Amino acid sequence: MLLAGYTFRNLCRARELLAGSPEEHLSIKSIAREVAISPYHFIRQFEAVFGMTPHQFRIQSRLDRAKLLLALGEHSVTEVCMEVGFSSLGSFSDLFTRKFGSPPSAYKRRARSMVQVPGNFPQELFPGCLSLMGALPAAAFRNFQEARPFPLR
Amino acid sequence: MRIKLTSLMVDDQDKALKFYTDILGFRKKNEFPAGAYKWLTVVSPERPDDIELSLEPNANPAAKTFQQAMFEQKIPLAAFEVSDIEKEYARLASAGVVFTTKPTRMGPVTIAVLSDTCGNLIQLYQPTI
Repeated sequence: MLLAGYTFRNLCRARELLAGSPEEHLSIKSIAREVAISPYHFIRQFEAVFGMTPHQFRIQSRLDRAKLLLALGEHSVTEVCMEVGFSSLGSFSDLFTRKFGSPPSAYKRRARSMVQVPGNFPQELFPGCLSLMGALPAAAFRNFQEARPFPLR
Repeated sequence: MRIKLTSLMVDDQDKALKFYTDILGFRKKNEFPAGAYKWLTVVSPERPDDIELSLEPNANPAAKTFQQAMFEQKIPLAAFEVSDIEKEYARLASAGVVFTTKPTRMGPVTIAVLSDTCGNLIQLYQPTI
């Protein structure tokens, strides 16, 4: 699919609105209206460009924000849950665990034990992959030819 | 000194692996767990021992801001060379890939730009000389 320039701009604008503050909670339908695309095409095009539906994107943005707030350590899990726009602590906790592999309370404890200078995040929490190279097995640096058990004919 | 590894930030490593292998056609070379993330690299099947592309998580908030701004300004973060850009464009478009620029002649190359569904624009180019 070739995307027109104005559709590309509108989808970027929609992404901003979806990640926006929860107080300005807009329905998917009203965001589609805001960017002048029919709801059906909006969902379809958004997913084709960003690899997830607008709803999935909104959930992901909220969880990412929650993770950051938990790492800052200034709010309780319940406060973070409400702050990022979830109304149920249970579903927040489930979604967080599914995405990041540990419940928000455990993540908060782990983050607090690592953050020594407030506002300064350690690599383990927000890594850049290249920095993890030292922990890899030697096989990661073999090329395909060397990694093959028998020479190819 | 050699250039053997480069990286691209992605918003979801599993989704990225699918896109870069199943859709673009690269091959997975390495996948090792690294904390909550993975060391994940792909190579071109045409030159599997050549340069590796690491699909890095954009978990750092600064990385997200950078990636989003570049995307909105329509700036590709990587470029892959192809032998027949019209053929690749037709193949990828029919697989549901979204292009922001169709094959377009620009000086010594013909380029096309696509969304990798992981937050990046990628430029394909075919030298025309």
